[in-house]
Amino acid sequence: MLQFFLRRTLGAAVILILISAFTFFLFFSIPQDPALLACGKNCTPDSLKIIHENLGLDKPVPVQYLEFMRGIVMGRDFAVGPCPAPCFGYSFANNQPIFDTILDRFPTTVSLTVGGAAVFLTLGLGAGMLAAWKRGSLIDKSFSSASLVLSSMQIYFLGPVVLGALVYSTNLMDSPKYTAFTENPAAWFVGLLIPWMVMATIFTANYTRMSRSTLIEQLQEEHVRTAKAKGMSGKTVFFRYAWRGSLIPIVTIFGMDLGSLFGGAMITEQTFSLAGIGRLAVDSVIKTDLPMIMGVMLFTATMILFFNVIVDAAYAFIDPRVRLS
Amino acid sequence: MTSPTQAAGISADSAAIPEPPAGGAVKKDGSAEGRSPGQLMWIRFKRDRTGVISACVVFFFFAVGLLAPVISWLYGKNPYTTYGLETPGLLDDFNFPTGANGGISADHWFGIEPLLGRDVMMQLVYGIRTSLLIGLAVTAATVLTAIVVGVTAGYMGGKTDYWLGRVMDFLLAFPSQLFFVAFMPVVVALFVNPEEETPTYIRVVALFLVLWFLGWMGLGRLLRGQTLSLREREFVEAAKVSGAPPWRIVRKELLPNLVTPILVQATYMLPAAVTSQAGLSFLGVGLLEPTPDWGRMFATAGRVYEMDPTYMFFPGVAMVLFVVCFNLFGDSLRDAFDPKSGR
Amino acid sequence: MNIAKKRRARAIVVALAAGSLALTGCSSGSKNTSEGSNTDADAAKQQAVIPLGDAAASQGPAVEVPGAKPGGTIRVYQRDNFDHLDPAQIYVSDEGLLATLYTRQLTTYKTDKNGKKVLVGDLATDSGTVSDGGKTWKFTLKDGIKFEDGKPITSADIRHSIERMYAKFITDGPTYVQQWLSGGGTEYRKALPDGPYKGKHLPDSTLETPDDKTVVFHFKDPQPDAPFALAMAAYGVVQKSKDTKEKYDAAPQATGPYKIESFKPGKSMKLVKNENWDAKTDPFRHQYVDGFDITFNHQASDSTKRLMADHGEAKTALSFTNAVDPLQTREVLQDADASKRVVKGYQPYVWQMNMNMDRIKDKKIRDAITYAMPNKQILGLNGGSYGGEVAGGLMAPTLAGYEKGYDPYGKLKKPNGDPEKAKKLLKEAGKTNMKIVYAYANTEANQKVSVVVEDALTKAGFDVQKKEVDSASWYAQMGKVKNGFDLYMTGWGQDWPSASTVIPPSYDGTQIADGASNYSHINDEHVNSEIKRISRITDIKESTKEWQKLHHYIVEKVNPAAPVYYTKQLQIYGSKIGGAEYSDTINYIDPTRLYVKK
Repeated sequence: MLQFFLRRTLGAAVILILISAFTFFLFFSIPQDPALLACGKNCTPDSLKIIHENLGLDKPVPVQYLEFMRGIVMGRDFAVGPCPAPCFGYSFANNQPIFDTILDRFPTTVSLTVGGAAVFLTLGLGAGMLAAWKRGSLIDKSFSSASLVLSSMQIYFLGPVVLGALVYSTNLMDSPKYTAFTENPAAWFVGLLIPWMVMATIFTANYTRMSRSTLIEQLQEEHVRTAKAKGMSGKTVFFRYAWRGSLIPIVTIFGMDLGSLFGGAMITEQTFSLAGIGRLAVDSVIKTDLPMIMGVMLFTATMILFFNVIVDAAYAFIDPRVRLS
Repeated sequence: MTSPTQAAGISADSAAIPEPPAGGAVKKDGSAEGRSPGQLMWIRFKRDRTGVISACVVFFFFAVGLLAPVISWLYGKNPYTTYGLETPGLLDDFNFPTGANGGISADHWFGIEPLLGRDVMMQLVYGIRTSLLIGLAVTAATVLTAIVVGVTAGYMGGKTDYWLGRVMDFLLAFPSQLFFVAFMPVVVALFVNPEEETPTYIRVVALFLVLWFLGWMGLGRLLRGQTLSLREREFVEAAKVSGAPPWRIVRKELLPNLVTPILVQATYMLPAAVTSQAGLSFLGVGLLEPTPDWGRMFATAGRVYEMDPTYMFFPGVAMVLFVVCFNLFGDSLRDAFDPKSGR
Repeated sequence: MNIAKKRRARAIVVALAAGSLALTGCSSGSKNTSEGSNTDADAAKQQAVIPLGDAAASQGPAVEVPGAKPGGTIRVYQRDNFDHLDPAQIYVSDEGLLATLYTRQLTTYKTDKNGKKVLVGDLATDSGTVSDGGKTWKFTLKDGIKFEDGKPITSADIRHSIERMYAKFITDGPTYVQQWLSGGGTEYRKALPDGPYKGKHLPDSTLETPDDKTVVFHFKDPQPDAPFALAMAAYGVVQKSKDTKEKYDAAPQATGPYKIESFKPGKSMKLVKNENWDAKTDPFRHQYVDGFDITFNHQASDSTKRLMADHGEAKTALSFTNAVDPLQTREVLQDADASKRVVKGYQPYVWQMNMNMDRIKDKKIRDAITYAMPNKQILGLNGGSYGGEVAGGLMAPTLAGYEKGYDPYGKLKKPNGDPEKAKKLLKEAGKTNMKIVYAYANTEANQKVSVVVEDALTKAGFDVQKKEVDSASWYAQMGKVKNGFDLYMTGWGQDWPSASTVIPPSYDGTQIADGASNYSHINDEHVNSEIKRISRITDIKESTKEWQKLHHYIVEKVNPAAPVYYTKQLQIYGSKIGGAEYSDTINYIDPTRLYVKK
């Protein structure tokens, strides 16, 4: 068990280093000077030079990369002040520490993800199970058709339509807004309800389709049929055998989705003006705020890798035949 | 952009590729009449009316994309002229269409665009053309890459398999959305002299590159797995024993057995590529004005939705119709190939 | 159940869904309401020369806002983060607006009982005493002025605030006072290369603080505008013992009525009352609300929709600087309720299409471009008649010396351009089909602008090469002398209502350098010498007249930039907000007057 986690952590570290190098060098290969961003409207050569010194941009790119990587592990000193590990440096756009900014945005993304996932897991799996259980019935048919259409929706299409219907034209609800859960749980819930619903719509549809099809597949498996033939009740067979067997693919997909959602849901955040990691990413790209892009890229990749490990570990719990090695 | 869609694609995998398309199953069905698997598939597909209808819609979208210049010629409008600015009375003081329903008229069937006053139908038709072109290219390239890498890894095994597997792990750990957004400007900047107008094709190529780069690993892994299990099958063993060169084994024995998952996956990948591309434009890193673009229409439509909902209507309905029909088509295709997996 | 049938059921649902979408997609056409927004009177008020107020006018407290009640918190939706909070780094208007809440300078503007603007003492007892032919300005500090921590503000703090602007890390703020004291360009930095941080100070012959209450500026040349320059947010006071240098930019100490309780860059900011601010010392600011709750990342479309809906917290909300989204102006004005909750006024910016005079040397070609410019179409994409007004010249309506109707290129008569005339001029110049590189900032709106500009220039016979440029560093890139472009649109606004903050920075040929704001690289002997001459005139009325003449010469005889439009601001606020009024010195709703209706 310990060995499994150690090995996976090591592997993840290697991948992260590769990703950071790839991103860093590719970005420095473009002709635009990243210091321009920090230079303001009256950008004289003098101030540009000062900024280069302040940001360490006057050194060769490989040296800059090594300093950046060393900063993550050991922290480093900037003209602005010391930056304790893990130090991703300071934003070129507003001189704020990258890591603090990311940590600050993370709760919004976590809230969006956790709430959205709660909605789509319950609704999606519930609908999928019901459809599989009542296979061929009217329920099955309507669920399947609805999920087909809904899964084809795009957030940038659905979002404005829902906002228009619930908020701006009817005033039924407030505009979406993030309040910290610790500050006011009720406001947190109400403020994020619309984003959760819209985001979950598409996921719900996908999970309905997926859980239905895997369940049906499982029901046709030999051990399930054997159990049925032995006279077990349909319910027992369904929940004890088929359901358990269908968990693996669902957990796999869920882990992947969580990984990418924790890294920021760009389109959802953009559509609802929420300041999470996704929004941070888009903003920093539009501004070519290099350290911020690096920080977000590494943070998001870490999330993905983390959930990959979790999923692999989860297999062992779901299916005793899988051993962690 | 596509995490949900990707999930759809992958979730469909598990159903789409239950076991390698068992030659046995096909034989059981068809041996009585002695038809080839291809013929059988065609017969089954023809019986599936929804499948045929969605295939027609899919075909229609391709036709629209392909014939955009012809449509433009017949319709007498183009996607670039700012009709609303040139003809007084079409747009009001705030540059919104004066006519009802977004300015739908005999001249402008889908209305005119707020602000610039271009023809919505032409914008959409050309937008579809661009999106489909990129989507097709991305799909073709990803499928090809996946075949090469997946089959190589699966067939060669050993070290090759290990290292190709690590490459795929590496690429899978890349945050794909963020990668698309972050590298679009970089890729464009790499190609262009900063003082010249960026030709549209460079942006198209950049879009293609970022979408392709992280698009192929899912299918690659799947094909690797399939190849791995096929390699152990008797008919491949037999071919090996008879001394057939590896290339021949891949071509004659492996690939024909992989056609089903490849085709089915491709039908799911194409709409995913189209929506991803639209998502990039929505976030502001896609194609630029004045190149007509489906995704950018959504970005504008979202902002003017309350005042001019019609402008959201046509691109929106077209997009939903397109994705639904493509998925239906993919389902039908899969069922026709492999009736056992039917849901 | 066979597969085909099930699919048909699905297909029906698809059709139904499409149908329901169709319902949402219907709308009635717009009624063509074209009541232009009439703010000429406001502009007239704005363009008048602002008088200097005496000690009586500089006394607090400020004139009460009718009906104002204390209490309540105001929600603020902002689009962009405040990148700089260190006063010395502030040169953009949204940060300037915020600064009025938390920082104080030697001087400031107030509106007197008759609604007239006066320049008065803020920390100083009056707007300054001038001597030595305009070279020496003396200010005396008020009693009872304190920092956030309760320490009194002394002349040493003023000295420190000025001297720290010489330090290397201050890169963004204005440089008027530093240059007047210690030399033009970046020359002044040599007078105190490390700022005051290594124990060195400016000599008394430059900046003198004879006692705790007195500050004397000794400028190299007569500077009649000194009190105006010192009213800029950048000259806000910074306490020496609390100066954290670079870090001060995110956590400044307050001297104004509000202090920054928390600031999460790019996300949110909370302002609360500063207990150590004394209303009796402040002629301009109020402290009605308990605080401001600011969040960022609200695009104009988002803040407009929220404020229009006026639901829940949006009732006590506004945006400090987001204008009504141009795309929603129509809806806001047609809404009986929302249209009552708007303020409007001129902003000081003139948008102009710069023609790079290093590359386009023939005036005929520049004239052709000017005639071809589709001003009204460009304006239409930026809010139409509520977003601005077609410009005929290069001086904004908010500037002393603006002439209404000045229009040498017939832009008011043919606001969509005159392609025939442009074509003719281009032909005379023998350059039909001339290749022209047009750069634009890559934003959604400017992409659309680029479409109409390209159209218009193509019709006039140009071969347009469009080039999109990263919008975040747009001005830095355009500010390079060798930027490689022919045409680019920039906006410039006055720092105070005098042409001396517009014409010299934009048209002085001796100042062409990387990072300078002479974007068209005009370098005309006559203009250069006139700028030098007029800058020395101490009588403001006289100099205004001279600037007017020079403006005519620049526009008609040189034509370095095609005027595009003057900007206007239309803002909307929640129904429970009181005291909202457009301020022509802050150029947005004045935040210090706001209160929450009970």
